[in-house]
Amino acid sequence: MKSAAVPTVFIIDDDSGMRQAIHDLVESVGLRSESFATGEEFLGARHTGRPSCLVLDVRLPQMSGLDFQRRLAETGMQIPIIFVTAHGDIPMSVRALKSGAVEFLTKPFRDQDLLDAIQQALERDHTAQEQQREIHDLQERYHALTPREQEVMTLVVAGMLNKQIASEIGASEATVKVHRGHVMRKMQAGSVVDLVRMADKLKLPPRK
Amino acid sequence: MANEDVQKTLAELSRDLQESKARLEEAQRVAHVGHWEWDLDTDVVVWSDETYRIFGLSPQERPMNLAAVRAMVHPEDRESLYRGVDEDLVAGVHPNAEFRIVRPNGEVRTVYSVTPKRWSSMPGDAKRDASGRPYKLFGTVQDITDRKRAEEALKQSQFYLSEGQRLAHMGSWASNDLGIRWSDDLGIYWSEEVYKIHGLDPQNGAPNLKQYLATIHPDDRASMGETIRVMHEQRCGCDVTKRIVRPDGEVRYVRCVGVPVLEGGVFKAFHGTTVDITEHELLTQELRRERAYLTEAQSLTHTGSWACNLLTWEILHSSDENARLYGFDPSQGAIPFDRFYNAILAEDEVALRAKLENAIREGADYDVEFRIRRTDGAIRFLRGIGHHNPSQEIGEYVGITMDITERKRAEEEREKLRQLEADLAHINRVNMMGELAAALAHEIRQPIAASITSANACLRWLARDPPDIERARAAAARIEQDGNRAANVINHLRSFYKKGTPPERGIVDLKDIIREMTALLRKEAVRHSIKIYSELHEDVPNVLADRVQLQQVFMNLMLNAIDAMKDTGGKLTISSRLTLEGQLVVSISDTGVGLPSENTEQIFDAFHTTKPQGTGMGLAITRSIVEAHGGRVWATANQEAGATFHFTLAARVEADT
Repeated sequence: MKSAAVPTVFIIDDDSGMRQAIHDLVESVGLRSESFATGEEFLGARHTGRPSCLVLDVRLPQMSGLDFQRRLAETGMQIPIIFVTAHGDIPMSVRALKSGAVEFLTKPFRDQDLLDAIQQALERDHTAQEQQREIHDLQERYHALTPREQEVMTLVVAGMLNKQIASEIGASEATVKVHRGHVMRKMQAGSVVDLVRMADKLKLPPRK
Repeated sequence: MANEDVQKTLAELSRDLQESKARLEEAQRVAHVGHWEWDLDTDVVVWSDETYRIFGLSPQERPMNLAAVRAMVHPEDRESLYRGVDEDLVAGVHPNAEFRIVRPNGEVRTVYSVTPKRWSSMPGDAKRDASGRPYKLFGTVQDITDRKRAEEALKQSQFYLSEGQRLAHMGSWASNDLGIRWSDDLGIYWSEEVYKIHGLDPQNGAPNLKQYLATIHPDDRASMGETIRVMHEQRCGCDVTKRIVRPDGEVRYVRCVGVPVLEGGVFKAFHGTTVDITEHELLTQELRRERAYLTEAQSLTHTGSWACNLLTWEILHSSDENARLYGFDPSQGAIPFDRFYNAILAEDEVALRAKLENAIREGADYDVEFRIRRTDGAIRFLRGIGHHNPSQEIGEYVGITMDITERKRAEEEREKLRQLEADLAHINRVNMMGELAAALAHEIRQPIAASITSANACLRWLARDPPDIERARAAAARIEQDGNRAANVINHLRSFYKKGTPPERGIVDLKDIIREMTALLRKEAVRHSIKIYSELHEDVPNVLADRVQLQQVFMNLMLNAIDAMKDTGGKLTISSRLTLEGQLVVSISDTGVGLPSENTEQIFDAFHTTKPQGTGMGLAITRSIVEAHGGRVWATANQEAGATFHFTLAARVEADT
């Protein structure tokens, strides 16, 4: 494994003893670790694109971990979160998991539970990053389409025949065929089914 | 005349003479009057038998001359007597003299000697010599000792009487005419003291009716006139006290007592006394006033005074208030001891009796408290203080009885509040323990979790190939640190103790609790110029709750409100409303410093405090109690100033009472 690919585990816990212990545990299994006392410190730090996850204490001095989770989502930062708490209850953990938390652990936890959760989170982050990259590619392809081609793509995905599309956009069937060919090539789609899947991933607005 | 006849006549004359002489002697003896004759030439003094007796000698015991007589005159009178006699003789007047003599047995007698005019003034009196100077004197001497003594005694008693009248400010008077005719002239006699009492001069004589009435105070004048008229018409006595005005304007109170004097059933006159009773009257008035004050004071302080013998149950004195304390009507006359005693509650009577008997036996004072049932049925607390005067009879006490019911009730109320305060303080601690346990669980769990995690890391460093000893050692050091941290947290627990009380739920009247809490905190509120208002919903329902815990919620929130207004003073308002869902919302509002600008939720956390002396537990406890009752608690900022804390409780409809 190249060092650049070593995933990083971020830790936010206001209790320094706990923070250091988790930090040390993570490093003992050969992962990188960065720890912070507050959420603000974490947001202020620079983050690389390599796979990572966040071990977050539920009870923080300024802002609760749950509120911090919401705030991260709002800023578009997608990072898998493992909650740890000395004081958790079931409604709190349900809320956290519903909001996308990987795991909700109650201190003290078994080290393996945390490490498993970290592993799971890193995988999820890896996958998420893959998906992110794919969508990114698709978006680049989509934006390379002319407006007319984008229009045709939308109608193709909606399951229309060339004839129907022609009447829809007020062009000849032959012209539609040319546009359609461009769309399939530029989007690197092997079939209409392929294209439909791509449109789904791109979350294109359905036809009006 | 024949010689025989002469002889016979002479004999008869001699007999007559003897008889007359004997009669004279007898008369002199009876009247204690003797006679004497003094021949100035021969200095022979001839005394009658009685004269001898007056001088304490036997009749004709020895011949007398002037020197002998002189020797018998009292030494103090001797000189003046003889000088007087000589002067009189020279002046040609007839010496009369009163002087004392000393009898041979030492007895002093007073005698009066008279030289009758007739004897010496008779012209051609053989007892004068040619120059007209008398050569023989004749006189009588009378023993006036007894009369003198009587006179002395009378004088003495008159002196005593007038002195007595003067001292007593009492005069006597008599009126001869009053009963006989009704006129301006009362024909009155006033003793000197009566004049003095009226400030009048005896020289001007007794006043007539008009003058007399003029001495009377205008306010009393008419009634006095009427009294005199009635006395006159009905010949009855009088006993009136009226005011008089002396010429110098001084007003005096005078008591005038008069009685009709009858002789053989026939009215003769009025006789009476006049006494200046001003001092007495003023004293009486003052006593009356003081008595009124005392009565008023007794009634105001619910204190009765009494004097009685606790052995014989004889009441010597009992003030009106004393009767009223027991609900008796003082105007109904004296109330017997047993009615007082029977009012005492049976459960107090035994102890009371023991105390009283003990006090009586030792002749000691006592101070007791007991309850009575008043005639109207009310139970009252009384305090009795009895003082025994050792000079009095055994069991005789004088004292007071006070109604101390209000004080007792206040004491009981205070005691109840104190108990409540203690309960609350205790429950506060107990509940704090719950909060503490939760807070401590978090505080302890943190280092324990950290040390477990560090231990795990340590093992992993050691399990490496090769083992990373340095990292393992660092991890072990952290384990030690965290272990100590946990121990310290537990040490904090030592400052609290626990006395577990399981909550007991019952139907609770919120108004009751608020009343109690308001009473409890009023002093604190007043000290900081804070007014407490209760604006409870009229039909605020009862709730099912642990009474003491609910008291604690109010206590905490009200104390918080007071704390917020400590420096400024302000208004604490307790209000309530019912939501449509049947929830009761109670709000406690203050006009104090208000809430922190952010994180208002955190104020309910344990150990969160903004006060230097705060434990940070008050609101946390409040929240845990309210939540345990199925409600919630929150705070809002007031529009103008201060904050309002609200909490909800499930209202309980009174169906099962």
